[in-house]
Amino acid sequence: MSSWLADTITQAQTIDDWLSPKRAQSLALLEATNWPNRKTEAWRYTPVNKIERATFKQTSTLQDIATHIPNLDAIDLVFVDGIFDAAASSKTFPAGLTINQLADGKDHDWALESFKNTKPDRHFFGLINDTLATQGCIIDVANDTAIEQPIRILQSFQQGSQSHTRILMRLGKRSSACVIEQLQGDSLSLNTSFAEYQIADQAKLEHYRLALQCSEAISIGGSHFSLGEKADLDSNLVGFGSQLSRVDIDIIHAGESAHSQLNVIYLLDGKELFDLHSAIEHTKPHGTSEQNVRCIVADHANAIFNGRIHIHRNAQKILAEMNNRNLLMSDDAQINTKPELEIYADDVRCAHGATIAEIDEKAMYYLQSRGISRSEAQVMLSFGFINELVDMMNNQAIAQWLRPILRQRFADMEIR
Amino acid sequence: MTEQLDEALAREYEAGFVSDIESRTFEPGLDENIVRRISAMKDEPQWMLDWRLKAFALWKEMPEPDWAHIQYDKMDFQSISYYSAPKSMDERPKSLDEVDPELLRTYEKLGIPLIEQQQLAGIAVDVVFDSVSVVTTFREKLLEQGVIFCPISDAIKEHPELVKKYLGSVVSQKDNFFAALNCAVFTDGSFVYIPKGTRCPMELSTYFRINELNTGQFERTLIIADEGSHVSYLEGCTAPQRDENQLHAAVVELVCLDDAEIKYSTVQNWYPGDENGKGGIYNFVTKRGICHTNAKISWTQVETGSAVTWKYPSCILKGDNSIGEFYSVALTRGAQQADTGTKMIHLGKGTRSTIISKGISAGKSNNTYRGLVHMGKGAKGARNFTQCDSLLIGDQCGAHTFPYVESRNPTAIVEHEATTSKVSDDQMFLCRQRGLDPEKAVSMIVNGFCKEVFKELPMEFAVEAGKLLEISLEGSVG
Repeated sequence: MSSWLADTITQAQTIDDWLSPKRAQSLALLEATNWPNRKTEAWRYTPVNKIERATFKQTSTLQDIATHIPNLDAIDLVFVDGIFDAAASSKTFPAGLTINQLADGKDHDWALESFKNTKPDRHFFGLINDTLATQGCIIDVANDTAIEQPIRILQSFQQGSQSHTRILMRLGKRSSACVIEQLQGDSLSLNTSFAEYQIADQAKLEHYRLALQCSEAISIGGSHFSLGEKADLDSNLVGFGSQLSRVDIDIIHAGESAHSQLNVIYLLDGKELFDLHSAIEHTKPHGTSEQNVRCIVADHANAIFNGRIHIHRNAQKILAEMNNRNLLMSDDAQINTKPELEIYADDVRCAHGATIAEIDEKAMYYLQSRGISRSEAQVMLSFGFINELVDMMNNQAIAQWLRPILRQRFADMEIR
Repeated sequence: MTEQLDEALAREYEAGFVSDIESRTFEPGLDENIVRRISAMKDEPQWMLDWRLKAFALWKEMPEPDWAHIQYDKMDFQSISYYSAPKSMDERPKSLDEVDPELLRTYEKLGIPLIEQQQLAGIAVDVVFDSVSVVTTFREKLLEQGVIFCPISDAIKEHPELVKKYLGSVVSQKDNFFAALNCAVFTDGSFVYIPKGTRCPMELSTYFRINELNTGQFERTLIIADEGSHVSYLEGCTAPQRDENQLHAAVVELVCLDDAEIKYSTVQNWYPGDENGKGGIYNFVTKRGICHTNAKISWTQVETGSAVTWKYPSCILKGDNSIGEFYSVALTRGAQQADTGTKMIHLGKGTRSTIISKGISAGKSNNTYRGLVHMGKGAKGARNFTQCDSLLIGDQCGAHTFPYVESRNPTAIVEHEATTSKVSDDQMFLCRQRGLDPEKAVSMIVNGFCKEVFKELPMEFAVEAGKLLEISLEGSVG
């Protein structure tokens, strides 16, 4: 066993809080799970041995950070290196919204109940997060409440830090809310950050996960959703990759007639790696789901996508679609994609498509023949490739903030 | 609808009879001694025995793979007999007149007349019964053109230079668990060599039959198409209806040298077991071909039999501008499980591949497409198109797709599409409105669903495949 894992287990054993019964289950599973390697299907293309080699510390002092999204009037919850920064966070919340810290969540029976319930059982780093996450927040939205202001959970990571956070959210019946998970930090650090959302019947969640980590950070996390009857999820993920970025999105259609939409953009450069595993579980009839995953990979980067649609027995009348399109920009970059279907009901319509190609030379030529430089043409075409998904974002402040960042990213990408 | 479906699924397996033939069968068990005895039975040279023993040593260290989407009781490799041959084959018959008439009757019943005059002109057949090749027709006629078509056990003795050079060159001894086992204990199979610039004058075909109880069949086929040559090869197989599972672990290697073309078609109709999954053949097969410059390999398969199918006919597109094709129809019903697909490994410049896979699941069966498209760093301007469609009939079956796509070259273009659907009410309505009864309508729709694959099959096979499908789907919609 690696010394990092041994330390982790020792540390986990010393944690004694209201989540301890759940942690003990995960710890037992963790001890029975092997360290992922190339032969572990879920980690086939993502080497995680660098975690063993690096050294990280858990910090206790706060640093100043600035990750401002203009025009976004949000309820802010700020974490620095996994520690809640009360001073930088919002203090008052609208009626119907309760936010507590995970550290003092004693009275939350439902939170204890739902902790580690939506995530797949054997996710190695999910188990590590289960056992180590003592920081994070518990968000509860009452029934029949529309929270207009977005809730932003901002996490930033400094050099050498190690942090493990967990978000638990319950969205009451017929309620609606918007949650933004924003993760930032580009120096060598390790974070596992998982969020679990319970979306009750007829509730509507708008969700953003902005994993704009670059270069050195090691980030493993995920957002897991459980949808009640007629619930609606609109999830958007924007990722820049890093030394190692892994995100698991799991959407469980636990009630009938739920709808989920997942739009993902990732843009990788340098030696970055981004690994996205998405799983849509249709357990009840009449649901619809749509996934759009677009990815641009340049330089020596490595993009991994494993998308899964699973239609359970008797979950009839499902309409599920997955669309994965990739642009490969350099000779040394690589794309590994696996769109899976697993279907046990006959009266369903499922489709997936995946393409990998480079930027269309004819389109480049067309733009160049009209006096646009090659580099500008590349930015335009790359931008066009993903802008469709940016346009679909409901929150205009985020879309506006993202566009110049994406544009800059394209301009920085190495032209072949 | 369900009742009618059950009725259709309860149909007889037509090739399920047992031939009453006295056989010489090894006692069950597997050790080094068995490997030596098989080699001795075949009168093999030392190098072949050494090769087998090396494979056996490797196999012992390998774990049985469990990544496929199939569930079955793990096999006890010590309870299988690894060699069985009719006693009448002790002395190799020199001509058909000397072959045991009961053996000939078996093939007549299966619709494979071995008497050359009775055959469709233009098809040469190698017939493998349990562990031995019974007869190879048109052997001399083919040799006139330099085409070698014979049992692999003969080739080992008569053409050692070719066998030594190519055996294991595409599927190595340590390739996978079942291939390693095959390398150690393979008994017979076909060997084909097409000389430079020759277009094989007739279709070549091998028919595999398992007859003896508690035996495994381990055949090995090696096809070498020398520069600029062309060959079309067909393969068929059946087994008796039994409550016990029987293992079939074959290896097929295709070597397609510069500018050559191999077309390999399979209609697989091993006994599928009864509707509760009792009995049937475990079909664990490794098939792979290597394409040199401008060469082309085309795999076409119609998979209707076997309790468990684990089969991935693949192409290594090593040479520039080489082409790989994979056309597949896999039909599962009852409690059948199929995990099948292909690998297209693009290494050379301008290589192209097409994958068309049609899966039809009925009853309580599970049908999985598993494929890999790999664009290597050198695959400049390479192109792949993949389409895998699934059709579900009934609400107790499953259809799954696991495509792996890996690209390392920006100029390579990969496209993958998959859909899953059922026979739509609109299609049914249209057909019925024009006076077709429901059965005919379904048959027609399914045939249309599979058309792209059937058109790749040689004519006789296409007819057979269409019929197989029709029988299997009888009464599946009401």
